[in-house]
Amino acid sequence: MKIAGEFEIDAPRAEVWEKVRDPQVMVQCIPGCEGIEQIDATTYRSQVSVKVGPIKATFNLKVEVVSEEAPHTVLSRTSGEEGTRASVVSSENVLRLAETPEGGTLVSYEADVSMTGRLGKFGLGIFRKKADQLAGVFVENFRAKLGVSA
Amino acid sequence: MTELLFPTTVEEAVALLAAHEDARPIAGGATLVAMRNAGLVESTHLVSLDRIAGLAGIVRLEDGRIRIGAMTKHAETASCEMLSGSLEVLRKAAGMIANRVVRNMGTMGGSVANADPAADYLPALACCDAVLTIAGPGGTREVSILDYVEDWYETALGEGEIITAFTLPAPYAAASSYRKIARVSGDFATASCAMALEADGQGVRVAIGACGPGPIRDPEAEAALCGHLGDPEAVATFAKALADQADPVDDVRGSAEYRLQLIPRLISGVLNDISKETV
Ligand SMILES: Cc1cc2nc3c(=O)[nH]c(=O)nc-3n(C[C@H](O)[C@H](O)[C@H](O)COP(=O)(O)OP(=O)(O)OC[C@H]3O[C@@H](n4cnc5c(N)ncnc54)[C@H](O)[C@@H]3O)c2cc1C
Repeated sequence: MKIAGEFEIDAPRAEVWEKVRDPQVMVQCIPGCEGIEQIDATTYRSQVSVKVGPIKATFNLKVEVVSEEAPHTVLSRTSGEEGTRASVVSSENVLRLAETPEGGTLVSYEADVSMTGRLGKFGLGIFRKKADQLAGVFVENFRAKLGVSA
Repeated sequence: MTELLFPTTVEEAVALLAAHEDARPIAGGATLVAMRNAGLVESTHLVSLDRIAGLAGIVRLEDGRIRIGAMTKHAETASCEMLSGSLEVLRKAAGMIANRVVRNMGTMGGSVANADPAADYLPALACCDAVLTIAGPGGTREVSILDYVEDWYETALGEGEIITAFTLPAPYAAASSYRKIARVSGDFATASCAMALEADGQGVRVAIGACGPGPIRDPEAEAALCGHLGDPEAVATFAKALADQADPVDDVRGSAEYRLQLIPRLISGVLNDISKETV
């Protein structure tokens, strides 16, 4: 399942880059994120909970930064599982920051997600909608962190 | 281990749901049991609504309105003669849910609580302007079906609340139709449409199902369509107004694009059914 989107932030790219690469900022912006721990220079561990109707899931995720080119591109890989449950999730992610003519930043993201196990059965169609909704919440949180309005 | 509890009053059921953190109601179990077996939901306590007096059955109130108890089975709704005229659309929708086994098991409350975007009752109840009665720790309240679904599988139903009944306005003379497009008979809808047209042609209600988190209705567009049902251009404008509010998923039953294409087809289809009924 491919998830993609973009949004504009009324802040210079260097500042957005710094925030995007700061786990302490991200933990406060990612909806359902309960913690991010840096393991080494390029690896992070995180717990994220999502809820779709009556279904609640908490994932233990490993995020590896595969390559980064400051201040505009991060390629990463996420993999993880749901505690002792059978669901396994993995994704390949691309994040790009572009300067806008107005001096702001256009953030665009793409993720290719695959999911197996109990949640895979539930249908990816709904998860895509949920992902879009969570992305919206993230953007709001992120804008608030940078002190800019929509 | 899950404990199954059998309260005999709504108050008792609400108290049990409040007393146990991981408790949830169980009605017919058609959906909940399958979800538990698939490991999708778990709960320490299941509060069965089965032995609560007065939750099942359909009655006509003194003022002519119809009240359907939350525990009423699809099969009973599908054969209820009181659901006539403007409310017949609900009876038709009930008869198209799944198969006989599921219709004898599943309940209206369970279906609406579950809020599967493709559930047949959602557009049919929206077409009837149904009002839900919800009981919870804070007492009883009423919510219009049009305000009930808030997002994908998210509803106005709060923690520890149960749906107790659906109240429908008194039926009036009308022609109605419910159409659902499904991959195979008995499957959930890929897209569906409920319509009721007043006998004097003065009011038309249309609701689309399975093309967004909740049913789609547009009273303003309905008013504009009224009196122009025979005008293909007016019908196309109306279909476009509803399609513009749709937000369908891409899933095994069809792509989002395909679902959007089904909306005008379904609307022409129900209009065709209704014109046959009114001759
Ligand atoms: C094979 C199959 C095919 C189906 N096909 C269709 C179809 O074509 N169209 C369609 O519309 N539906 C379809 N369904 C769903 C069917 O209509 C179910 O009966 C319905 O969704 C759930 O009703 P239930 O009474 O069995 O609820 P349950 O399974 O008991 O409960 C479902 C959920 O609702 C909650 N709940 C139940 N009652 C209440 C209440 N009164 N208040 C608050 N919460 C409550 C439960 O906690 C649970 O989360 C199908 C189901 C199956 C198994």
